[in-house]
Amino acid sequence: MKAKTLTARNVAAKTAAALLLLIVILFFCTLTGSHPVSLKNALSGDEGQGHNIDYEIIFGSRLPRVLLAAIVGAALACAGVTLQAILRNPLADPYILGISSGAGLGGALAIMLASVLGSWAGVSVGIFAFAGALGTVWLVWFIGHFATGRSSATSLLLAGVVVNAFFSALIMFLTQIAKSYQLREIWLWLMGSITEKNLAVIGASAIAVLLGLVGLFSIAQRLNVLTLGRAEAQGLGVATARTNLIAFALAAFVTSVAVSLSGLIGFVGLIVPHGVRLIFGPDHRQLLPLSALCGAALLVIADTLARTVIAPAQLPVGIITAIAGGPFFLILLARYNRKVSWTK
Amino acid sequence: MSLPVEIENVSFAYGPQTILQNMSFAVETGQFLAVAGPNGAGKSTLLNLICGLLQPQHGRIRIDGSDIHSYSVKALARKVAVVRQEFVPAFDFTVAEVVAMARTPYMSAFGFESQDDREIIARALDMTETSRFASRPIRQLSGGERQRVFIARALAQQSPVLLLDEPTSFLDFKHQVGIYDLLKDTQRQTGKTIIAVTHDINLAIQYCDRALLISDKNYHLGDINEVFVRERIEEVFGVIAFEGAIEKGKFFMPLGKFAKDHKNS
Repeated sequence: MKAKTLTARNVAAKTAAALLLLIVILFFCTLTGSHPVSLKNALSGDEGQGHNIDYEIIFGSRLPRVLLAAIVGAALACAGVTLQAILRNPLADPYILGISSGAGLGGALAIMLASVLGSWAGVSVGIFAFAGALGTVWLVWFIGHFATGRSSATSLLLAGVVVNAFFSALIMFLTQIAKSYQLREIWLWLMGSITEKNLAVIGASAIAVLLGLVGLFSIAQRLNVLTLGRAEAQGLGVATARTNLIAFALAAFVTSVAVSLSGLIGFVGLIVPHGVRLIFGPDHRQLLPLSALCGAALLVIADTLARTVIAPAQLPVGIITAIAGGPFFLILLARYNRKVSWTK
Repeated sequence: MSLPVEIENVSFAYGPQTILQNMSFAVETGQFLAVAGPNGAGKSTLLNLICGLLQPQHGRIRIDGSDIHSYSVKALARKVAVVRQEFVPAFDFTVAEVVAMARTPYMSAFGFESQDDREIIARALDMTETSRFASRPIRQLSGGERQRVFIARALAQQSPVLLLDEPTSFLDFKHQVGIYDLLKDTQRQTGKTIIAVTHDINLAIQYCDRALLISDKNYHLGDINEVFVRERIEEVFGVIAFEGAIEKGKFFMPLGKFAKDHKNS
């Protein structure tokens, strides 16, 4: 019997198909919204001074938002895949190591300091959140790796839990002393919401995330081996400490970019890797690109719902992903537990 | 010709606790060496030293003539393959996927298995008689089947040296001899150098050429029939043992205080 393993051609074909599907979804989600638009009108171009409303809505508002959702979705899904691999825990997500609370603290601080920051207030939330996320990840890595003198997944997870709890308490403290208009803004941000950003920010984030993802794709086979554990991976020729660090740093980086753009959008980084793994298997050379595209598609659809279901008002997209994702996650959990007990 | 594995004055300690002291030995190409000894004597530690997972505090280890430090992790994996004690992976990889991972040390970034790789994988599956469940998730296999898959992976790694850590510890009689037959067959067909840590002295006597018996910072190395003699086994393991003879081999039966055949019972 022929041994079945992945071929580059096979993965490329599936990735191309998924990319095509994503483009179709992007197209239809751009046309969908609370205000009906005519694509034909929009394509006639900018007539200046807001005369072509269809053009303004599609190219000024919806398309940037749809693209932003796609970037964030791809980043979160791939970060989820990577952390699940290096922690060897299928239930890990991008926020498990304290990134969420660190970004949350940064974001909340920026919102409360808006009056001090003056003209910088517009972009400061993103910058603060990015710095908070990366700083927290570094702190967790430092505590987990050096303070405990071991590099096991368990000590990293424990460090993540401790840092998460501590920063969550700080966020709670901030919300207690916040003014009511700040409080609403903080909550909106903590729930995760995608709002229009300018094209330069979107372009820069797209490049940053893409570079991070390509970096992850390049170590995909090593991630496969790493899921077998440190001793096994070493025996198969993978320098475990270095690969762990690279994978961890790249995952933290793309997650930090994502949270700085959109706040805390839960469940995407958990459900997408799981779903793709269930259907296509656990090989990371395929799991990573397909998760990126599926994550992008899922978040674009979720955000389209977020801006249409109670139109003209908008929901934070994090509420949509959590409402849909919670039950889905429970199903996965039940399924996973059953599978583990089978092997006993 | 350089020797596949050379251990020279190696000492190793976990913190203040010395495990191996001034150990020196060499294994010749194509030999099948059994490593035995009481629990905690340092058998697995020795294995982890030879595969580069641990570094000795003193002494040198040479693989294929070169110091082990001169190899990258990747290069060393092309020289030494390891089959560890039974474990279940965290994700649902299939048998074929697990065996395919053996080709990782031959791949570059963004790499996939080549046509050659696929043939090597298929041969390893055939040789270990695991190809009929190649597409099944490895978590669904029994212990004996899973152990064969990990041996298939080690074969596909195409390393001149093969290390095994208690390959038969959880297996029934049929699967125990199945594994040893497979190892012997591999030794004969591929000329691999095999080092197996084992508690099963009797099976080792039937299949291995030489033995290393480690005991409390001391060790005996030699032809398997010379190392495993009753007085030494009684001393090293601290038990009374019965020695029996078959035509070509012999066997040992440990006898505890309340055993039926113990002299005083």
